[in-house]
Amino acid sequence: MIHLSVSFLAIVIVALLAILGLFTVYLFIQREREASFNKNRKSYLQRSTQLWNVYLFEEGLFSVRLVPRSRADVEAIEIIFLSYLKNIASPAIRLEIKNFSNRYLKEFYKKDLASKRWSTRMNALYRIADFGMDELLDTCRSIEHKKISKEERFQLLKIYSLFQPDLFTEKLKQLQDGYSESEYRRLLVLLDDDLFIRFFDAFQDWSLNIQFALIDTAAVRRNAPYVDKLKHLLSHNNAEIRIRALKGIYEIGIIDEIEIYLPFVSSDVWEERLMAAKIFKHAPLANMYTYLEQLLQDENWWVRSQAAETIAEARQGGERLQQFIQYADDEYAVDMAKETLMRKQESR
Amino acid sequence: MRMLDYAMSFFGGIILFYMLFVIISYFMMFITAMFDVRKRYRLDHSEYDDAHIDAFYSKPVSLLVPAYNEEVGVVDTVYSLLNLRYPQTEIIIINDGSTDSTLQTIIDHFEMKPVKKMIREHIPTKQVIQVYESAIYSNCILIDKVNGGKADALNVGINMSKYPYFCSIDGDSILDEKSLLRVMKPIILSDGEVVAAGGNIRIANGAKMQLGSVYETRLPENYLVIMQVVEYFRAFLMGRIALSKFNLVLIISGAFSVFSKKWAVEAGGYSANLIGEDMELVVHIHRLIKEKKEKKRIEFVPDPVCWTEAPQTAKVLRNQRRRWHQGLIESLWKHKKMTLNPRYGAIGLISFPYFWLVECLGPIIELGGYVYIVAAFFMGSIYYEIAIALVLLFIIYGMIFSVASVLFEAWSMNTYPKKRELLHILVLSLTEMFWYRPLTLLWRCEGLFRFVIGKSEWGNMKRVGIAEKGKSA
Repeated sequence: MIHLSVSFLAIVIVALLAILGLFTVYLFIQREREASFNKNRKSYLQRSTQLWNVYLFEEGLFSVRLVPRSRADVEAIEIIFLSYLKNIASPAIRLEIKNFSNRYLKEFYKKDLASKRWSTRMNALYRIADFGMDELLDTCRSIEHKKISKEERFQLLKIYSLFQPDLFTEKLKQLQDGYSESEYRRLLVLLDDDLFIRFFDAFQDWSLNIQFALIDTAAVRRNAPYVDKLKHLLSHNNAEIRIRALKGIYEIGIIDEIEIYLPFVSSDVWEERLMAAKIFKHAPLANMYTYLEQLLQDENWWVRSQAAETIAEARQGGERLQQFIQYADDEYAVDMAKETLMRKQESR
Repeated sequence: MRMLDYAMSFFGGIILFYMLFVIISYFMMFITAMFDVRKRYRLDHSEYDDAHIDAFYSKPVSLLVPAYNEEVGVVDTVYSLLNLRYPQTEIIIINDGSTDSTLQTIIDHFEMKPVKKMIREHIPTKQVIQVYESAIYSNCILIDKVNGGKADALNVGINMSKYPYFCSIDGDSILDEKSLLRVMKPIILSDGEVVAAGGNIRIANGAKMQLGSVYETRLPENYLVIMQVVEYFRAFLMGRIALSKFNLVLIISGAFSVFSKKWAVEAGGYSANLIGEDMELVVHIHRLIKEKKEKKRIEFVPDPVCWTEAPQTAKVLRNQRRRWHQGLIESLWKHKKMTLNPRYGAIGLISFPYFWLVECLGPIIELGGYVYIVAAFFMGSIYYEIAIALVLLFIIYGMIFSVASVLFEAWSMNTYPKKRELLHILVLSLTEMFWYRPLTLLWRCEGLFRFVIGKSEWGNMKRVGIAEKGKSA
C-alpha cells in the first residue's frame, strides 16, 4: 500500500509542479498584458488631459480624440473625471461628465454589469453613481433580479436614491435590515430636504438602524426644522434614541426651551446626564450652574468631566470652579475641577 | 530489534497521518483564501475610503505605541501615524522605562511638554512618571512610565485613551496611510459586531520609505528575510483568511490590530505576565464572547498594510520564534479549559484542537519527521518506503505550498511587481524545506521546551530601523 501511495504521491507532486509551472508562465504573460494596458492608459492621459481641460474649463470645442476607443481609454477617462469630481464640484462640469458618460461610456459599463467578475460589476456600479449615468438605470434595475451580493444591492440603492428617489424609498422599505448604520447614513445624506423630512415623518416605520441613521444625519445637516423633530424623540422609550436625539440637538446648537432638558440631569442613564451637561453649554452659566454643580458631583467620570468642561468654558466659569474647589467635600469632583482648571490655564 | 521495528512503524505512521491531516487542512484553507482574495482583485477601494474619511461614517480610534529602547524606529512610527488618512485619532506613545534615549528623542522631536492629567485606572499598571503633550500635534501624547513590559505599557495606553477603539502598533512598525481605514472597515460595517480586527503585516526590510511612508517596495536581499516574506504569505493564505471567515481566528498580529476598548477592559487588558500578550487578549475576548453568549466576532483583514522590520540574523530570528512559540503555548495553556469544550462553540471544538495539534505540537512532529528520514537512511531498506512517502509529503507541504502562496500573492496582490524579484522569491521558496523550515522548527521546539521548564525572558529584538537606519530620528 505504501508502495502505491509513494508512486501516487510522486504523480501528485509532478502534476502540482506542472500546474504551478504553467501558472508562472501565465502570470508572466498576464504581467506583460497589464504593462501594455497601463502604457495605453498613460498614452490617453498624456494626449487628452489638456484637451479635457480646454473643453471643460475654457469652453473649447469637443474633440473626437476624447472619445474612448478601448478599455484603457475608459480607465484613463475615469481617472480624469474622478479627479474633477473630487476637486471641482461645479454643476456645469457634473453635467458635462454626465452627458459624455451617458453617450460614450454607457456601452462599456453595460458590458461590465454583465461580467462574471464581482469586482468588475462593483466598479461599474460605482462609476454609474459617480458620473450620474441615469441612462443605465434600467440596466441596473434588470440586474437586481439576478443573484447579487449585498454590496451590489447597496450600490443599487445609492443609484436609485440619485436617479429615482421614489423607487429608492420603496426599495429601502424592503431592505430595512442587513446594512450598518454608517451605510444607511451614506444613503440618507444624499436625499434632498423634502424627501428626508418625509423619511423622518415615518420614523416609527423604519428599523432601528435606519432610525439611528436618520437622527445622526439630521444632526449633520444642521437645519433648524430638524430640532423640533428631534425634540419629539426625547420622550421615546428607547434610551439610545433619546441619547442620540440629545446629541443631535447639541450638534445643531439651537436650544430654545432649556426646561425640557432639565429632567435629564437626574436620569438613570449616564449618557443622558452627559448630554445634558453638554447641552447646557448653550445656555447662560448663571441659570445652569446649580444643575452643573450636581453633575460635577456625579458618580460617572465622563459626566463629571463634561460638567467641569462646560463650567470652565463659560465666562466666569473659572471663578466658579475655584469657589467649588474651596467649599466642596466630594474628593473626585474637586480633583476633576482642579484638572479642568489647570488645563484651561495651560491652554491660555 | 523488534521493539525498534514497532517503534519505527508506529512513529512513521503517526507522522504520515499528521502530515496528511495538515496538508488537507492547509489545502482547504488555501482554496477558501484564494476565492476570497481574488474576488477583491481590481476592486476600486477608493470609493469606500473616500466616503469613510469623513468622521460622520467612522469611529474615533486611540493609537497606542509602546516603546522600549526604540530610539531608532519610534519617530518614523509616529510619523506614519500622523500620516494616516483617518478622521479622528489620538496618538499615545508609552515609554516603558527605556534605558536608551527613546524618551528624549520623542520629547525633542515632537516638542513634548509635561502636563498634569488624571488617568482612569481601568486596568492596574505600573506607576506612571509623567504625561507629556506635543506642542506641535495636539492629538499626540507621551507617557513615561516605570518599566513593566509591553503588555503593561499597552494597559497604561488603554487607561489613558479616550476613544471607544484602540489600535496597538509596535514601535518599529510603519502603517500604510489607508490601513486604519481598512482595518476599521469590518467594525464600522458590522455596527460593532466585530470587536477586534487585525491587519495584514508585510516585511519592511528593503522597502524605501521616508517620514513614515513607504514609496517603493523592494525584495530584501538577505535570504533569511526573503524566507520570512514567503512565510508571511503562507500564514496569511493558509490560515488567517480562512479562519477569520468562520470566526475561528486566535491570532491577530500584535504589530497592528484594533480592539474595542470595552471588551479589552472587560478581559482585563493585556496579560502582563505572559509573553504572547496579543494572542492571549484575543483568546480571552473570544472566551468572554462565548461566556456572555453574545454575537460578536474577531476578524483578520487581508488588505491593510503594516510594515514591520523582520530579523536579519539567525540569532535574532531564533529569539523571536522561540518567544512566539512560547507565547502561543502560554495563551493556549491559560485557557486550556476551552479545548474541546462545547460551551465555547467552534472556538473550543475547532480552533483550540487545531492550534494545539498543528501550531503547538506540530514542530515536534515535523522535526520528528526529519529525524525519521535521517534515521531510516541509516537503518536499512525496510524503512525506505515510509521515509520516501514522508519526503514527498514534505515536498508538498514545504515546497509546493510555498511556491503556490508566492504565485497566488503575485496574482492577487502583487506586492513585488518586478519579474526578477518574483523569480528570485520563487526559486528560494523551493529551498525552504531544506534549511529554513528545519531551523524554525528547532527554534519553536526550543520555545516549547522553555514553556515546559517555565523559563521566560524579554528577548528584545535588535533594531537597525526600517527607514534606512531611521533617518528621521
